Amino acid sequence: MDSILSEKHRIVRRSVRSFCEREIRPIAGEIDREARFPWEVVEKMGKLGYFGIQAPRELGGADLDSISYAIIVEEISRASGSLGLCVTVHNSVALYPILAFGSRAQQEKWARPLASGEKIGAFCLTEPNAGSDASGIEATAVSDGDAYVVNANKVFVTNGGVADICLIFLNTNPSADRKQISVVVAERGIEGFVVGDLEDLCGMRANPVSSIRLYDCRLSLDNLLGREGMGLKIGLAALDTGRMGIAAQALGIAQAALEEGILYAKQRRQFRVPIAKHQAIQMMIADMGTLVEASRLMTYRAAALRDSGKRFSQESAMAKLFASEACCKVTDMAVQIHGGYGYSKSYPVERYYRDARVTRIYEGSSEVHRMVIARGVLGK
Amino acid sequence: MGLDIVVCIKSVILAAPEEQVLRTEDTSELNPFDRPALEAALRLKELHGGHVTALSMGPPSSLSALSEARAMGVDREVLICDPALAGSDTLATSTAIGAGLQKLLPFDLVLFGVRTADSDTGQVGPQTSMLLGIPFVSMVRVMQWQKDDFRVERVADHFVEEYEVPVPAAFTIHPGAFQPRDVGLSGIGRAFESERVERWNLADLGLMPDRVGDAGSPTRVLSMKRVKETKKCEFLKGDAREQADELMKRLSDSGAIGA
Repeated sequence: MDSILSEKHRIVRRSVRSFCEREIRPIAGEIDREARFPWEVVEKMGKLGYFGIQAPRELGGADLDSISYAIIVEEISRASGSLGLCVTVHNSVALYPILAFGSRAQQEKWARPLASGEKIGAFCLTEPNAGSDASGIEATAVSDGDAYVVNANKVFVTNGGVADICLIFLNTNPSADRKQISVVVAERGIEGFVVGDLEDLCGMRANPVSSIRLYDCRLSLDNLLGREGMGLKIGLAALDTGRMGIAAQALGIAQAALEEGILYAKQRRQFRVPIAKHQAIQMMIADMGTLVEASRLMTYRAAALRDSGKRFSQESAMAKLFASEACCKVTDMAVQIHGGYGYSKSYPVERYYRDARVTRIYEGSSEVHRMVIARGVLGK
Repeated sequence: MGLDIVVCIKSVILAAPEEQVLRTEDTSELNPFDRPALEAALRLKELHGGHVTALSMGPPSSLSALSEARAMGVDREVLICDPALAGSDTLATSTAIGAGLQKLLPFDLVLFGVRTADSDTGQVGPQTSMLLGIPFVSMVRVMQWQKDDFRVERVADHFVEEYEVPVPAAFTIHPGAFQPRDVGLSGIGRAFESERVERWNLADLGLMPDRVGDAGSPTRVLSMKRVKETKKCEFLKGDAREQADELMKRLSDSGAIGA
């Protein structure tokens, strides 16, 4: 691990951790209970560059590498899964596609306010009838003079309740038999843009996940990202990076659960000794430590490959699959170590347990990841 | 014009050493007591303009503390680094730091943390100022620049002392007086873009090896043993009032509360 990490990465971790310990950790339980998006902390995070981690400096970003990115998401998620989610989705599937596929003018218009955290981004792909199978997308854009007329019903939009800049995946050629998936950018506030009710979720409750609906929204043709028909390409590129972020998020939650498990195992006494002295608990702690370490290695390796300009889709898919499954196991064991207290909201492991579950579902479920990975391993 | 400020910082070891002190990048970090001093310097610069230099002495592993200072916003970093410095006590350290400061003249102000988290002597700040022959105030909480001197406050025994200090001056900064800023990500990115920490060895400072390191250190540490902390649980006897009285007496005797 230390051979992958440089001094810069250590300082990134130290400074982000110190911020999270002071600003996020103390409120993490409360914002979960109240399902509240903590703007007061998010503003500070924006000033520190957490919303433009890899954006170039001329656009106001911090221009850091992918390993730093993974470390930052890991550390924020260690304090609050909901905020880790907000940051990784914003950076990797909202801001990154604009940087990678947007024109100079689009970057100036959208990437700059996103990178500073002044505006929050969202990625709107999922619909009631389209998720893992993106070809099921029913949202449409019909060109009408100098504008698209957009109709869309997007669900489970992470950051949906607070997002200003939304990437909408839709069909730009609805009259043809074969769908032409494209991405347009829609800004909150335009006519016909409706933010639906917030989802009442099991975990990640401080993230305002909502539906976003567009009713006959007129968007300039300049709001098209890349070219018509590039939607799937943009989506896949965004998800390669996004998966690495979710892996880092799962890693951070698992790390927090491991730490709480250790702390409790050393404090709680049964049969006259701290329960950490019991072999049954030690077996769990050993498995938790190993799962966390393996998740970390896979996540950082995917990031290191990305930094060296190599292909990393397979590695990032494997990291996401492994780290999210590991996160569920680790948080489950952390609850088990806590016994009845672990099932109570008095201890943070209860929140970790709920937050962990969705990492196996979003940005590609474990099952879809296995399909993708198998294709790579089998060689098509 | 602006203020020319030097902040002396140290890379401290994180965990108590088992036997010999070994400093590596993994085991060291910027002394937490130096962060408020860096913060104080950066705030002065923001108010009055000027230039902040971070000066450190130590093995190459200290470079990371200087990089962190740069990420916070320091303009120039200097590391005094020479194998002959190994084993320096506080006097030898002050001699080397003093020589480094001489080389950085002219400056208006030198700031130190009040002590280090690893060796905890609190001597290097005051000693260095003595060697340089400049005015020194310890545990400063408030600093005000008044065109050609500083008005500073320190708290001692529940009294606020005020001083007017001509420049160049040296202060140690009270650890609670200046909450260190969070280091922004772009600051970290920029800090690592170019390797620009200047390194000075003894020859650069014009120091003879016999004045520093083991040779220049009058202090000899006889031995170092880990402190074994033992906790003892004692039950007070008597009814509630007697127990409370006994507890008050013990707390008062130990000086934990006023009599």
